[in-house]
Amino acid sequence: MMSGEHKGVWIYAEAQQHAYELLGKGRQLADKLGAELSALTNGTEEEAQGYIQRGADKVLLLSDSALKVFQVDTYTDAFSELVAERKPDVLLIGATRNGLDLAPRLAERLKTGCVTEASKLELDAEGSFVLMDRLTLGGNVVETQICRAKPQIATVPKGLFSSLPQNATRKGEVIMVQPKTKPPSVKLLETRPKVAKGVRLTDAPVIVSFGRGVRKKEDIAIVEQLATAVGGVMSCSRPIAEDLHWLPEDQYVGLSGVKVSPKLYVACGISGQIQHLTGIRNSRTIVSINNDPKAPIFEFSDYGVVADLYQMIPALIEAVKNLGKT
Amino acid sequence: MVHIIVLTKQVLQTEGLRVDKATKTIVTQGVPKVISESDKNAIEEAVRIKEKHGGKITVITMGSPDAKEALREALAMGADEGYLLTDPLFEGSDAHATANVLAAALTKILDYDLVLCGAYSEDLYAFQVGPRLAEVCNLPQITYAAKITVDGTKVTVERDLENERQIVEAKLPCLISVIREINEPRLPTLMAIMAASKKPMTTWAAADLSLGPDELGFNGALIETLRSTVAVGDRKRVILQGEVKEIAPKLIQALVQEGVLKAS
Repeated sequence: MMSGEHKGVWIYAEAQQHAYELLGKGRQLADKLGAELSALTNGTEEEAQGYIQRGADKVLLLSDSALKVFQVDTYTDAFSELVAERKPDVLLIGATRNGLDLAPRLAERLKTGCVTEASKLELDAEGSFVLMDRLTLGGNVVETQICRAKPQIATVPKGLFSSLPQNATRKGEVIMVQPKTKPPSVKLLETRPKVAKGVRLTDAPVIVSFGRGVRKKEDIAIVEQLATAVGGVMSCSRPIAEDLHWLPEDQYVGLSGVKVSPKLYVACGISGQIQHLTGIRNSRTIVSINNDPKAPIFEFSDYGVVADLYQMIPALIEAVKNLGKT
Repeated sequence: MVHIIVLTKQVLQTEGLRVDKATKTIVTQGVPKVISESDKNAIEEAVRIKEKHGGKITVITMGSPDAKEALREALAMGADEGYLLTDPLFEGSDAHATANVLAAALTKILDYDLVLCGAYSEDLYAFQVGPRLAEVCNLPQITYAAKITVDGTKVTVERDLENERQIVEAKLPCLISVIREINEPRLPTLMAIMAASKKPMTTWAAADLSLGPDELGFNGALIETLRSTVAVGDRKRVILQGEVKEIAPKLIQALVQEGVLKAS
C-alpha cells in the first residue's frame, strides 16, 4: 500500500475521557504530519462537539442504530468500510476489552498491523512511520515497532496520555456516517453490570499495597490502617488474590491484574516480581517497605525502606498523625 | 459430539526472568518453558466439554521443536491428538503471520466445531491471534469467556468485560478465547502422562501447509520490530534504613514535599 494515499489521524474510544486522551496524543501526531484529526463515535451531537473542543477537526458520527451498542462484528464492518473509503494514516483505538476485541479483527480485515497497548507513540525522523513502543516478556523488554501497512493501528491504554484543555471556541465538522453492517454472528442476549468486589484502583490517587510479607490474613488490618491514614485505598500483589484469596481478584495490581497510575504507591512486603512492577510503572512516586535489602522492588522505588513492615507501618501511621498536628 | 481445536503457545515462564544489570540483557538461561497460563485453561475447558458431550480434542501449537513438550502436557490433560507446527520459516511471524499459519492448519484438519484458546499469551499479552484467526477463517469470535455452555449446534458464553458481564450466543463453529477465571486446570495423573506418550502427534512444516514465503515469518509480518531494549527503572532509589521511629517521619516529610501526600 502506498503511504501517500493515506492521510489523517483517527481515534476511537468508548469512554469520553479515554477519547479525550487519545485526542491529546492524536493532535500531536496530526500536527507533525500536517494532517487532520478525526474522532469516531456513536454518541450524541453534543459529545461530538466535546471532541472538537478537545482537538478533533472532524467527528465521524455513527448514527446507525445497529451501532448503538458495541459489537465486534458490526464495528469491524463499519470501521473497515470507513477506512477503505477515507484512508486514514493512523488509527488509535482505546485499549479496553472491547477495543482489544475490535482492533486485531479490524486490522486483519484491512491486512494491516496493530500494536497492542502502545506505551509511546512518536513519529520517526522522516515523519513516515509512527514508532510504537510496547512492553513484552512480562514487562522486561520495550519493543519499538512499526506497521508495514496502512492504516497504522495501535490500541492505547487509559491514563497514559494527557487530554487537551477544553476550548469552547474551537471549530470543526461533524459528519454523519452510515456504513453498512451485516447482522452480527454473535447474539448479545443479556448484559449484567458487574458488582465491584472492591474499590476501583484505577482512579485512586494513593494506593497502599501488600504482598507475601504480610504473614496472616488478620494482619491486613494494619495495611488498611495505613491506607486510611494516608487517604488511600488498599490493593495487593497477584499471589494474595489468586493463591490465598485474601482480597478479591479485582484488587490485585500487576501485568495481568489492574494497572495503576496513582500519585503515591506504597508497596508493603512485595518483593517486586516483573509481573507486579509492570502494573505500577506509571505511578508517580513509589515507596517500598521490605526486610530483604536485596528485594528487586528497591531498584524500582523512589524510596526503599529496609525494615520489618510490622514495625514500619505503625511508625508511618504515627508520623502521618503527627504531621496533622504541626 | 464436538470436535474442539485448542490452540496453545509455549512461553518462557515470565516470573523466572531476571534482568542482568551489568549487561542490560534478559537472563533466559535456565528459565523453564511452560504452556501459557490461559491456554491451559482452554485445554481444561475443552476436556470438560468433551466429558459432557463426547467428541474429540485436537491441540495445536506453533513454535520451536521443543514445543512438543507443551503438546505432551496437553495430551496428558486429556487432549486426543497433537499437531506441532514448526519450521525455521515461521520465525519472525507476528500475530498476522501466526494467524495465517494456524488458519492453514485448521483448513487442513477440517470438521471442527469449536476453536478454543487463551485470551492472551503470558509473554506478549497482545490479545491478537484469536481475533485475527477468527477473521481469516470467517468464524464468529467470542473473547474473554468466563463460562461456556455448549448446546447442540450453538454455544452460550459469559464474557467478562471491565464493568459488565455479557451473555452471548453463537452458532458453531466459532472461536472462543478464555480467561483464567473460567476453571482450574487439572494436574495430569501419572497414568494420564504415560497414556499421553501413546497419543498421536504430527509435525507440520510450511510446505505441509501450502503456505507461500510472503504469508509467514518475517516476510509475512505486518509489524516490524525495530529494536528491543531492556526496560529499566528511572526511580530515585533512595534507601532508608535504621530506627523506624526516625525514618518514618523523614519519609512522610519527603512525600509531602513531593506533593504526593497531603497533611490531613
